[in-house]
Amino acid sequence: MAAPNSNDAASASGPAPAGEEDTSIEALARRVQEHMTLASNPTARRHKFWETQPVGQFRDSTDTSLPDGAIEPPTPLSEVRADPYPLPAAFEWLTCDLDDDALLADLYSLLAHNYVEDDENMFRFNYSPAFLRWALKPPSFFRAWHIGVRAKESKKLVAFISGVPARIRARDDVVRMAEINFLCVHKKLRSKRLAPVLIREVTRRVHQENIWQAAYTAGVVLPTPITTCRYWHRSLNPKKLIDVGFSRLGPRMTMSRTVRLYKLPDAPLTPGFRRMELRDVAAVTRLLRAYLARFVVAPDFDEVDVEHWLLPQEDVVDSYLVESPETHEVTDFCSFYTLPSSVLNNANYSTLKAAYSYYNVSTKTPLQQLMNDALIVAKQKDYDVFNALDVMENESFLKELKFGPGDGQLHYYLYNYRIRNGIKPSELGLVLL
Amino acid sequence: MAGDWQELGQAAAIGLIFAFLVAKLISTVIAFKEDNLRITRSPPASPTAASRPRDPAAPSLASTDSDSDWEGVESTELDEEFSAASAFVAASAASGTSVPEEAQLRLYGLYKIATEGPCTAPQPSALKLKARAKWNAWHKLGAMPTEEAMQEYITIVHELFPNWDTGSSAKRKGEDSAASASGSKGPMGPVFSSLMYEEDEGNESELGDIHVSAREGATDDIVKLLAAGVEVNVRDTEGRTPLHWAVDRGHLSAVEVLAKANADMNAKDNEGQTALHYAVICEREDIAELLVKHHADPNIKDEDGNTAQELCPSNWSFMNPTY
Repeated sequence: MAAPNSNDAASASGPAPAGEEDTSIEALARRVQEHMTLASNPTARRHKFWETQPVGQFRDSTDTSLPDGAIEPPTPLSEVRADPYPLPAAFEWLTCDLDDDALLADLYSLLAHNYVEDDENMFRFNYSPAFLRWALKPPSFFRAWHIGVRAKESKKLVAFISGVPARIRARDDVVRMAEINFLCVHKKLRSKRLAPVLIREVTRRVHQENIWQAAYTAGVVLPTPITTCRYWHRSLNPKKLIDVGFSRLGPRMTMSRTVRLYKLPDAPLTPGFRRMELRDVAAVTRLLRAYLARFVVAPDFDEVDVEHWLLPQEDVVDSYLVESPETHEVTDFCSFYTLPSSVLNNANYSTLKAAYSYYNVSTKTPLQQLMNDALIVAKQKDYDVFNALDVMENESFLKELKFGPGDGQLHYYLYNYRIRNGIKPSELGLVLL
Repeated sequence: MAGDWQELGQAAAIGLIFAFLVAKLISTVIAFKEDNLRITRSPPASPTAASRPRDPAAPSLASTDSDSDWEGVESTELDEEFSAASAFVAASAASGTSVPEEAQLRLYGLYKIATEGPCTAPQPSALKLKARAKWNAWHKLGAMPTEEAMQEYITIVHELFPNWDTGSSAKRKGEDSAASASGSKGPMGPVFSSLMYEEDEGNESELGDIHVSAREGATDDIVKLLAAGVEVNVRDTEGRTPLHWAVDRGHLSAVEVLAKANADMNAKDNEGQTALHYAVICEREDIAELLVKHHADPNIKDEDGNTAQELCPSNWSFMNPTY
């Protein structure tokens, strides 16, 4: 698909300063189309929109003279557009106050009915209200970055996008970034093209805070992922996973043998393995900072961050550690967050309860043993499946602990930050929710 | 100059190529999946999977959305037709079909009204001829209502390309569902992933026809095979009887048929497990109860030394010897 002149279209199509951004979604679609036709030849791919953006370009991928770091310098704050971008007439912006239970319920409902599904529309993410509050209100969050769109008449929340601030280190450079997530447009409004204006608006509000970089993920390829990860899945409740279609049983394999294959001990095996508590924050922060320093891109967590992101909250985030029975030193740490999905159209089940591997640090207990204990507690807590990306050192335990590869690939992106040549998943120390 | 106008036509509609391309992409992906994933996805994992309706609209959605909430807001048939028409224009412009300049500008203005509303952008410099002409086309429509703009856009497309929508309604339907599917993925955010490969553990076991029929719960076929003289306790290469397979996949009626045909309730597979072990491990309580009724022995040990009675959930009272 040649699709010429999209820049031309954009330049005439909207308020001048961000005109090009108009076509982000279109560019995306075109990109995907090109990807299909030119899959094996990256240099032939064209990205009319993304070529105008401060993102790593495919054409630069072999140019070793380009420095790592910001692609464009910050704009003076006075030049950041002051007013929200215009919405179609029937809609208005709503800055969301997530302390308001009614609004949180509206956001939960919007996402629960309209957010990400699998390709076959069998499952849909069902982030819990408590999870959303946790994910969107980290230390020093900006309320202005919780951006809703509602219908003027009914006041119904119909679309959402969010950013949260984070300090992310890329090589030796700690950068203030926005983590962009929860972009969702109501199913009944998909032809209204709200997503591009939501992306522009969150970008504008991030710039207003003098922040010029962002981190985000996507299931599609854009210029240019810093890395591409794969999800792996460890069945905890194989019979249910098979019944709901998350997993499938081979014609010559029995359910009986499958169930036995994934059976786990009733209790964790490592002496001193226990749940993290508030008093552990300092020790966990030390472990985590030392560990994350090994990776090329990773969050820069301090104790305040660790208390927010890793202190256990029931059905939101769980963290366990190994405290040496002799020295009482905290030597190892593992964590996972809880992201259930709605099971669509199944007579027997309505929810799939999934644990997602978050940050894990092993110094004394072998990582594989530590993660086996994480599986055991997840099974005890009635999770159906334990998911992990092949980031950090996860590959070292995935196969051994009977994780199977998933059909989902997750591409990680940085906006306005170049990491020359990209990195391997094992060099990535960042998990976005 | 003519080249410029053609560009303009493309420009006016290029935004809408989104829906078109994604629809195409998704249908291609779906087709690809159906062609390729069959290798791992066939046969359907369970009877429920096979008969699952495709429409994911959850009942709870209907209950939370009263229709009045959506008046004037939700995507209408007009939206859909407008999207289709603009996608068609974008596609035909990209393929070099020529459209009179005047019509191109008119379509551009209507498209902007339909998608963004009245023109509030500053007037481009007079030196930028193309941009200025486009801006004029948009601006002069003033506060034209969105619906009117869509309607007129569709009318003009009909005049320019009388046959533009002759693609069958079936095709349009396909694109609709593709569009809703595409929305589920979204341009950024997390990805829902599920297991790529089926559970088979490099399994090399070979099944007879009656094992397959038992596995699929095809009771009529089981009856036919038995009538044709197939032995009811015939083993597959793993030592499993048809009863093991019927129990493993949870087919109660097939278990009844096999029981009635005097299947050996206590036959062991190569690992020493009986059908009752299978029922317990797979937590199929109704089937376990049926097996016990047909005098399956809960105290047979498998090669690991476990009896079905020891493995079963404690609340299955029928498994207790006193039962």
